[in-house]
Amino acid sequence: MLNWLDERLELKKFKEKFLSKTFPTHPSFLIGEIALFSFITLVITGIFLGLLYEPSTKMVSLFGAMVPAAYASVVRIDLLPMGMLIRRIHHWSAMIMIAAILAHLMRVYFTGAYRKPREINWFIGLGLFGISLFAAFTGYLLPYSNFSVTATSIGYYIAKSVPWIGNWISTLLFAGDFPSTATVPRFFFLHVMFIPLVLASLIGLHMVILVKQKHTEPAGNLKKKESQNGKRLIGIPIWPEQAVISTAFYFFLLFLVILIATYIPLNPIETYGPPASGTPVMRPDWYFLIVYGFLKLIPGDLSFSILGGKITPETIGGVLFPSFLILVFALIPLLDRSKEPQNYIVNPLHRPFMTSFGITGGVFLSMLVVSGYIDVLKIAPRTMLVYVILASAAAWVVSYTLLRFYNRDKDGGKHV
Amino acid sequence: MVNEPGKTMNKDNESGITRRKFILSAIIVAILGSFASLLSLLKVLAPAKKGGGYVSTISPGDTLVYASGSNIGATLRASSMNPGDAVLVYPKGKSSNPANLVQLIRLQESSFKAPTDVKLTDKGFVAYSAICTHLGCTVSWVKNEKSPDASYTECFCHNSIFNPSRGDKVEGGPAPIPLAQIGVKVSSDDSLVFTSNFNGKIGPQV
Repeated sequence: MLNWLDERLELKKFKEKFLSKTFPTHPSFLIGEIALFSFITLVITGIFLGLLYEPSTKMVSLFGAMVPAAYASVVRIDLLPMGMLIRRIHHWSAMIMIAAILAHLMRVYFTGAYRKPREINWFIGLGLFGISLFAAFTGYLLPYSNFSVTATSIGYYIAKSVPWIGNWISTLLFAGDFPSTATVPRFFFLHVMFIPLVLASLIGLHMVILVKQKHTEPAGNLKKKESQNGKRLIGIPIWPEQAVISTAFYFFLLFLVILIATYIPLNPIETYGPPASGTPVMRPDWYFLIVYGFLKLIPGDLSFSILGGKITPETIGGVLFPSFLILVFALIPLLDRSKEPQNYIVNPLHRPFMTSFGITGGVFLSMLVVSGYIDVLKIAPRTMLVYVILASAAAWVVSYTLLRFYNRDKDGGKHV
Repeated sequence: MVNEPGKTMNKDNESGITRRKFILSAIIVAILGSFASLLSLLKVLAPAKKGGGYVSTISPGDTLVYASGSNIGATLRASSMNPGDAVLVYPKGKSSNPANLVQLIRLQESSFKAPTDVKLTDKGFVAYSAICTHLGCTVSWVKNEKSPDASYTECFCHNSIFNPSRGDKVEGGPAPIPLAQIGVKVSSDDSLVFTSNFNGKIGPQV
């Protein structure tokens, strides 16, 4: 059988060329795989859900009450054997996928793996992060509960608040005004076809470039290789070692996700009910808390116009601030001006500036997540803004001082 | 006229255009042109706006009915509300337009201060648009049981706070402008009717 295939497809050549690519053995290199595996789980559970979901807002009868058809179909999915579990696995996998992307991004940042020649993959990775968030946003609307409609409505007005072209962007994205009957079918198509295709293509590109460029590797490997006059990368090959590890790892992750999904519900559709006139007390999923928290901090009187474009608190919190974050992330590899290809991991402790910058950014964004809870913590927005700035400044001073001290100590050792 | 191959490749050609250059520019024009023509699809994908934004259809004389809760759609009775209470209401028969959603509040008659339009209030009843001016969520009522006049309106989406005894002016959070006030009065049969239109902009100010 294998021979038959090999004669036709030249499997042996493929194995030599591709399957012998070496993987580093450090566990931090598995974080990206968590994101990839979550995506696979999302696709599999998404197929199940997509077969049963009805993308329509026309009113139908459900147990005697008139509710939108989309809402009714999700309630029916919940009532199927394992239906609710599949929905929760889907939702939890999305939360985990975005967390894994962020953790993977942090690993790449702190070890300097984004430097030449890997800038392209850094940009693709950022794109994957942004598109995953967009996938999550379009998924919010589909159950068409009161939560869905409120959350999407907020997104609609943020899109509308883009200066100059806001109206055009919002009608393009939401197929007209929101709420209207056209938005659900459009979001359904974006969520189940368009975005997954873009994600899958970009993931493919991300991995092809990875195979071509190979992983970064620990600096210690340099000496090892010199002494052995050895290969480019020390590690284990894709086939069979890494394949076995990855498969086992996937099923372990699947086990964890199913375990979490079994016991911890996420925004059950019945809690919020079908769209109604009141807005419930609600918070978005964790990855939107950064923007959500920032929106809460902006004072309402901060609006002005330039050249006919209106800048409102929504524009600042929902458009300018996220764009600024993306810009900072995109500029990171351009700041590094090394001419030679950098194929070895840098120890984060040896890069005081970049590491403290990363830590400060992390503290800043985490404090914005905390800002999402000022109503629970009973902190005034202005006070919270001061806390955010103080915490970020403290993070910078402490981490930078400590790292400088750590490195000076090392240099001092040499001189003495 | 048919050119001989050798002649068209000749650089001394009068027009100065070689076959390679011509084909290359033709390809570029074709690619750009086909993409540019596809841009017209963007127009199709964004349907023309029908009105757009929040446009209220409340007219003076409309009766107030409950917009939420168990007696949704029923006529509101003035005697059912005490100072410190608030409900979401619609004008009767016009509940399909979210711009018509109003928060009716009852406070002590003496508690209103500028910029509240006292002419638009009656027997302590005051009504404001219930659509937050920040991002369009419906506002909620935070009741203070001990001193009803210290109750206030809050949007639970991003915690904008409005002061109902001061014309719903923004006391905190990201909302850019107050919620617009609308006139109400208690009629002889204990129901309430609208007496005016909104005195300002309603809906998200984007």
